Amino acid sequence: MLFGRRRTWAMLAALALVPVLVAVAVRIEDPGRDGPPFLGSITSNGLFVSLTAMTVSIPLFLPLTVGVVAGDTIAGEASLGTLRYLLVAPAGRLRLLAVKMAGAAAFCLAAATTIALTGALVGAALFPVGPVTLLSGDTVGLGGYAVRLGLLVLYVALSLLGLSAVGLFISTLTTVPVGAMAATVVLAGAAQVLGQLPQLEVIHPWLFSAHWLGFADLLRSPLDLGSLGENALLQLAYLAVFGSLAYGRFTTKDVLS
Amino acid sequence: MRLSRRWIPALVAPVVVAAGAVTVPMVADADPGLPARTPQQVLELVATSTEDSFSGTVEQTSDLGLPDLSGLGGGEDGAGAAVELLTSSHTARVHVDGPERSRVQLLEQMSQRDLVRNGEDVWVYDSSEQTAVHTTLPEHEGHEPAQPEGTPAELAEQLLAGVDETTEVTVSGTDTVAGRPVYQLRLDPRTDATLVDFATLAVDAGTGLPLEVRVHAVGQQAPAFVVGFTELDLDTPDASLFEFTPPPGAEVGEQELPDHDGRDPGELPEGPRPEVSGEGWATVVELPVGGDVAAADKSGMLEQLTRPVEGGRALQTSLVSVLLTDDGRVLAGAVPVEQLAAAAR
Repeated sequence: MLFGRRRTWAMLAALALVPVLVAVAVRIEDPGRDGPPFLGSITSNGLFVSLTAMTVSIPLFLPLTVGVVAGDTIAGEASLGTLRYLLVAPAGRLRLLAVKMAGAAAFCLAAATTIALTGALVGAALFPVGPVTLLSGDTVGLGGYAVRLGLLVLYVALSLLGLSAVGLFISTLTTVPVGAMAATVVLAGAAQVLGQLPQLEVIHPWLFSAHWLGFADLLRSPLDLGSLGENALLQLAYLAVFGSLAYGRFTTKDVLS
Repeated sequence: MRLSRRWIPALVAPVVVAAGAVTVPMVADADPGLPARTPQQVLELVATSTEDSFSGTVEQTSDLGLPDLSGLGGGEDGAGAAVELLTSSHTARVHVDGPERSRVQLLEQMSQRDLVRNGEDVWVYDSSEQTAVHTTLPEHEGHEPAQPEGTPAELAEQLLAGVDETTEVTVSGTDTVAGRPVYQLRLDPRTDATLVDFATLAVDAGTGLPLEVRVHAVGQQAPAFVVGFTELDLDTPDASLFEFTPPPGAEVGEQELPDHDGRDPGELPEGPRPEVSGEGWATVVELPVGGDVAAADKSGMLEQLTRPVEGGRALQTSLVSVLLTDDGRVLAGAVPVEQLAAAAR
C-alpha cells in the first residue's frame, strides 16, 4: 500500500540524492579536514560517503520523510474518505493500526537502507575503495564493513521507530494529514533542540532523539552493541506508550469520513 | 462522558515503562550483603590485589560549579582542553593486560581518542584529527606504575598514599558498582582548611580492585568529581587490541621523550621548582611562571573564568582554587582562594 504510492518513492529518491550530492561535492573540491565527521575521509575511501550522508540526514531529512509517512497513516485515509471503507471490512481497528505502524517501520528501514546503499555505490563509483578505518584507528575489510553498515542501517531504522509511533498517534487525532505531518516533524525538531540545552540534561536520555547520533558507536573496535540495545529499549518504550495511546484514541473515535 | 475500556492500554503502558525505568537500576544497585570489614582489612584487600587484566567502561563526571564551557570550542589548545576536562563528562573504555599492555579509548560522539601501550611502544590516535603519534618509553626497571593512567585504580592509589594522620578512614558500607559487590571506604580530612568534604572509594570485594572514586566538596550535595567503572569484565582482553598499526591516510608522527640523563624518572626537569606549603589536604603548590599570566592568555578564556582578587586573578571551583598573581606566580590547592592569597604573601 505504502510502497505503491509515488510519493513514497519520491521521498526515497530525495534521500538517495543526499549521498550523491555529498560525493559529487567532495569530488569537485577536496574538503580537507573540515566539515561533518567522515567527510574528509571520502577522498581516500569512497565507502565513507554512506556515513557522511547518514550523519547529514539524521537531524533533518530522515525525520522529515518519516514524519510525512507516519503523519499520513490514519489521517490520510480519513481525508481521502477511504478510512470508513477500510473499517467496513471485518479487519478490526487494532489490525489496521498495526498494519499502518508496520508500514511506517518498513519505510524507516527502506530510508536508512537507501542512504547507506546509494552512498556505498556512489562512493565506489567516484573514489577508490579499500579497507575502512574505524574510529579506534583499526581497519576492517569490506566484509567486516558490510556487517557494520548493516547494523548501522538497523540502528538508524530503529532510531526512527519512536518518532513513527508519535506520528501514528498524532495521525489518529485529526483528519487533516498535513497537520499531522507538520506536528510530527516539528516534534522531531523540538526534541533535538531540547537535546541541545544543557539546562535540561535530566530529560536528555528520555528524548526519542537521544541516541540518534549514537550510530557512530558501531564504528568502534571492539564492537560494542550496548548503545544499539539502549536505543532499542528507548524506541520500544515510545512505541508502547504512543502505540497504546493511538489504540485508545482510534478505537474510541467515531469515523465519519 | 464514560471513559472507554479501550483507553486502558494507553494508561497502563506509560506506567509499565516508568516502573521499568525506575526499578531496573534499583535492582542493579541492590545491597550485596557482604560481611563487615574494618578499614584496615579493606585497605589490605586493595594492597594485595593481583587482578591486573580486565576490560571495562569508565565514566567520569565533574560538578565543580563552573559554567559549561564546551560551547566555546577551545578544546584544542592546552588551557581549553583542561577546562573541557573539568567541566564536562567523559566515557572511556579501558582494556588492561598486566602493567605493560593497556588501551584507553576516550569515546566522543562522532570520534574517539586511543592511547595504546604495548611494552615500550605507545601510540596516541585521534580519529577526528586522523593523527597517530608514536612514543618509545625508556627502559627503566622498578619504576613501572602499577596501574595505567586515568583508571580509578591509579586515583585510588594516590588517595591511599595520602592516608596518614591527616585523614580519618572508615568503611561506610557496602554497595554495588558496575554490577560487582564493593566496600565503600570513606576518607574524611581531619582539617577544616580544605574544600574537600570527604571522598569515597569503592573497593571490589572479590578482587580488591578500586572501582569508583567520588570526591565531595564542602557545601555541595552532588559529588564534585566522580570517576568509576560502569561495566567491568575480568577476562584477559584480546591480545590484538594492543597491537596498533596506524591506519592508511593517518598523519603519523614520532614524539621523542625528553632525555633523562640517568636522573630518577620521578625527578622534575630543570626549570622553575614548585614550592609547597601547608600539609595534607590543605597543601598549596606555588609555581613561578614569570610574567603576567593573565595577560598572556589570548583566547580570553581566563578572563571569563577568573575573577579579580587582591594581587591577581583567581579561579574558584567547588573543589580546587587557582590564583594567578600579578607578579607571575601560580598557586593552586584544594583550599579557598583566601588561603591561597595568604600563602602568596
